[in-house]
Amino acid sequence: MTPGSGAPLAADRAASAGGSTGSLPAPGPASLDAPIATEGLTTSDLHKAFGDHPVLRGVDLTIPGGTFAAVLGASGSGKTTLLRILAGFERPDRGVVAVGGVILDDDHHHLRAERRRIGYVPQEGSLFPHLTVEGNVGFGLRAREGREAEIADLLERVGLSGLGSRYPHQLSGGQQQRVALARALAVRPRIVLLDEPFASLDAGLRATVRADVRAAVQRSGATAILVTHDQDEALSIADLVAVIRDGVVAQVASPRDLYESPVDPDLARFVGEANLIEGTSYGSTAETPLGWLELCDGHRPSRQQITVLVRPEQLRVTPSAGGGPGVAARVVETGFHGHDALVRLITEDAAVAPMIARVVGGMRLEPGAQVTIKVVGPAHCWPRPPAGDANPDPPAAEPKAGPG
Amino acid sequence: MIATGVAAEPPAVADPVVPARRRLPPLFLLGASGAVAVVLLAPLLFLLIEASGSGAGTIAHLIWRPLTATLLWNTVRLTVVVTALCAVIGTLTAWLVECTDLPGRRIWAVLLVIPFAIPDFVISFGWASISTWVQGFQGAVLVMTLAVYPLVYLPVAASLRGADPGLEDAARSLGLGRVRTFLRVTVGQARGAILGGCVLVALVILAEYGAFEILGYQTFTTEIFTEFQVSFNVPTACALSLVLVVLGGVVLGAEPVARGKGRAVRTGAQAQRAIRRHRLGRATLPVLAALALLVALALGVPVGTSVYWMFASGVPFLTGVSVLDAGWHTALYSGVAAALATLLALPVALLAVRHSGRGGRLLERSTYLVLAMPGIVIALAISYFAERYAGGFGYQSAPLLIAAYAILFFPLALVGVRASVAHAPVALEEAARSLGRRPDEVFLRVTLPLIGPGLAAAFCLVFLACATELTATLVLVPTGVQTLATQFWAYQQNLSYGQAAPFALVIIAIAAVPSYVLARHFDRLPSRAGSAS
Repeated sequence: MTPGSGAPLAADRAASAGGSTGSLPAPGPASLDAPIATEGLTTSDLHKAFGDHPVLRGVDLTIPGGTFAAVLGASGSGKTTLLRILAGFERPDRGVVAVGGVILDDDHHHLRAERRRIGYVPQEGSLFPHLTVEGNVGFGLRAREGREAEIADLLERVGLSGLGSRYPHQLSGGQQQRVALARALAVRPRIVLLDEPFASLDAGLRATVRADVRAAVQRSGATAILVTHDQDEALSIADLVAVIRDGVVAQVASPRDLYESPVDPDLARFVGEANLIEGTSYGSTAETPLGWLELCDGHRPSRQQITVLVRPEQLRVTPSAGGGPGVAARVVETGFHGHDALVRLITEDAAVAPMIARVVGGMRLEPGAQVTIKVVGPAHCWPRPPAGDANPDPPAAEPKAGPG
Repeated sequence: MIATGVAAEPPAVADPVVPARRRLPPLFLLGASGAVAVVLLAPLLFLLIEASGSGAGTIAHLIWRPLTATLLWNTVRLTVVVTALCAVIGTLTAWLVECTDLPGRRIWAVLLVIPFAIPDFVISFGWASISTWVQGFQGAVLVMTLAVYPLVYLPVAASLRGADPGLEDAARSLGLGRVRTFLRVTVGQARGAILGGCVLVALVILAEYGAFEILGYQTFTTEIFTEFQVSFNVPTACALSLVLVVLGGVVLGAEPVARGKGRAVRTGAQAQRAIRRHRLGRATLPVLAALALLVALALGVPVGTSVYWMFASGVPFLTGVSVLDAGWHTALYSGVAAALATLLALPVALLAVRHSGRGGRLLERSTYLVLAMPGIVIALAISYFAERYAGGFGYQSAPLLIAAYAILFFPLALVGVRASVAHAPVALEEAARSLGRRPDEVFLRVTLPLIGPGLAAAFCLVFLACATELTATLVLVPTGVQTLATQFWAYQQNLSYGQAAPFALVIIAIAAVPSYVLARHFDRLPSRAGSAS
C-alpha cells in the first residue's frame, strides 16, 4: 500500500493540476489529499418501516467530520436500512438527515442519491461488469484533462497499480473491494458509506484490506461510516462506534469506552465476552463474591445493589490454589485460540455463575485444575433494578469466540 | 445545529426537491405489467365474449357431437405418441452428445438442433412431396417427431451439462450397472428438463396447422381453420377453440410441476464438472449410423427435396422479385412485432426479477397462459373482434397481424428479457447514482450496456419465430400482401412444388443460421453471469 509519505502527495498535485472540479457540482479541492472541509453527519428521529414492520424507530446520531465511524448491529437491527437512507436510496418515513448542517432529508425535502456527494461501497463491491477497472474507477469522473492520471493515482492509492485494464471478474474478492473503494473516492465524497465491505473476504485477507481501506479513506479526508455486525471489526477499525439495536441507537462511544463502559449488561455482552457479577456498592468500591472490587465510575451511593462488569482480561488466573490473595476456583473447560485461551471457571464456593477468563496461550490449564482468580483494575457497574424486576440473565458462560 | 445550518444556507436546502412520492417504481411497474397482462389475455376474453354471444346452449350443442370426439381422439393420440417419442429421442441424443466420447460431438450438437429452426410445415412439405406413405396419422407422427424432438434435446442437454457427475459415481459404487445408473440417476437428474421439454412438445402439436393440413391429418387446429376461413362458421370455430384452449391449459398445468423439479436438480454454477465421459467402445459405429439417419431424416429430407424440386420441376424459378417482396414484408412485420414483444416483456421481467412479491409472480405466471392459446385461436379472436366490435377496422391490416405476433410470441420474449434483466442488478444502478450520475446517465451507461445484448437476442428470437409463422399469418395477412410463409403456402397448395421450393429454402436459411448463433449466445449467458458477479 501507498505509505503516507510526501512523494504521492506531490504526484497528486501534479495529477490533478489540469482540472479542478469533480463530476459533482461542488467545487473540488485542488488535490485529492487536500482536506475537504470535513463535514459531519447528523440524523435525528429517523423512522422507516417496510409495510407493518418498523425497521428504524427514531435514530439520533451525530458523527463529527473526518471521523471513521462504525455502525454496529446484529442482522435485522436496521443498520443497512440506515445506510441506504443516508445514501439516498431510501427515503425515511420521518426524521432529518443533515450533512455539514445542510438538510438532505426531512418531511419536505429529499436530495437524490446522485446529488448528495456521499460515496457508497456496496457489500459485494458491485463493480460494473462491462467496464474495466479503469472504467469503474473513472465512472464518476467527467472526461477532462488529467483524468487518466487521476485514475492511475487512485489505483496506486488502493494498491492496484497496473491492474487498470482488467475486468472485474479477473480480480480477487479483496481486489474488487479495493476497486469499489477507489471508485467511490474518485468523486471526492464528503462521506463514504461502507456496507459490510469485508464480509465476503477470507479471514486472512480481511485484516490487510481493512487497514488499507482505513488508510485510503483517511487520506481522502472524507468522513467514513462502516456498517458491520462484527464487533471485533467495529472496535478495531473505527474511531467512533454507534451500536444500533431494535431500530434505535443504543450507544455512541469510542471503541474503548464502548468496551469498558457499555450502557447496559446486554450491550456489554454484545460487544464482547462479559462476566456479570452481582454486588453491593460502598462509595468507589463494591463487595462481591470475588472480593472487594474497585469501581471506575466514581462515587456510588452506599449499599446500592449493583451489577459489575468484569471482562475476561480483568481476571488474573494463577495456577496454584491457595497461593496469594484471591478466590479459589476450578477450571471447567478451556478454549484454545493459539495466541490466547478462554478458560471457563467456577469458584470453589460456587457463589457466582461460571466465569470466563482470558489467559495467554502458553498457559496450560487442564479441566479440573485448581487456580486462584483475582480481578485486576477498576470495574464498570450498573445499579441493579429492584428485585422482582426483569433481571439480566446470569452471565453467559460458554467460551465462545471473543474479540481476538 | 440543524436549525442554524438551515438558517445559514437556505438555498442549499431548497434546491433539488423531489415531491414526496413513495414506492413509485413498483407501482408504475405493476401498472405497466398489469396492462401487458390485459393485452395478452385479451384474445381469451374475446373468445369468451364470442362464445357467450352465440349462447351457452349453441356452444354446448356444437361441442357435444361426434366431430369433437374424432378431433379429440386424433389430437390426443398424436400428442401422446409424439411426446413419448420425442422424450426418448431427445434424451438419448442429449446424453450421447453430453456424456459420452461420441466422435464429432460439437458438430452433432449443431446438426441435432437445426431441425427445430425449420418450420414444421417445410419439413412436412419435404416429406409429403416425395412419398405417399407420409400421410395421415403415421405421417404426422413421423414429421412432428423429426420436427420437434430438439425441444426435449435442448433442455436435457443443458441439464446434463450442469449435472453433478458425482451422483453417477455414487450409483456405480452402490452396485448399479451402466443401464440402471443411466435410467435411475442420469435420467432422474434430468427429469425436470425432460418434463419441461415434453410440455413444450405437446403445446406445439396442439397449435400446429400447416404440417397437418399438408399431411391430410385432421386435428382441432385444422378444423378450426376450415370452419373459420372456408365455411365462415364462427360459432363452430369458437366452440372448438374453447376445447383446444382447455387442452392447452391441461398441458400447461403440468408445467409448474416439471419446472419445480427442474430447479431442484440443477446444481449451482460453482459445481464444476470434471469431464469424464462414458466410453461407447464397440457401440460407436452403430450410434454414429443412428445419429446420421436421424439427421438425414430430419434435416436432409426437407433440404434435399426442396433443392430437388427447385431444379427438377422445369419451372424457371424466376421468382426473385416475389421472394424479395415477400421477404421485405416478412422482415417488416416480424421486426415491428419483435420490438413490440420485447418492449411488452420489459416491465413484466423487471417486476419479476427485481420485486419478487406475490403480485408480480402472479402477473408473470398469468402471461404464460398465452402458451395455451395456439396461433389460430389468437388470430381468430383478434380478427373476429375487429370485425364485430371495431367495425372491421384493422381487419387484415398490418397492425392486427403485428399485435397477434406480439401476443403469440410474448412468452419467448419474456424468457430472453428476463435473463438479460437479471444481468443488471439494482445494486449496480445504486452504485452509479452514488457516484453522481443522473438516472438517465445511469440507464445509458450501466443498465443498457448490461441488458442490451440480451434484449437484442430476445428481439432476434421473436423475429425468427414471426418470420416462420404460418397459421396466424394466413388469417391476418393484409389483403394483396404475401410473406415468405404465405407465398410458400399458396404455391404448395397449388402443388407448384418448383415454385414453392425456393421459398422453403429461403425460410430454412433465415431460420437455421441465426438460430444457431442465438443458441450459442444463450449457452454462454450463464457462464458470463457467473463470472461477472
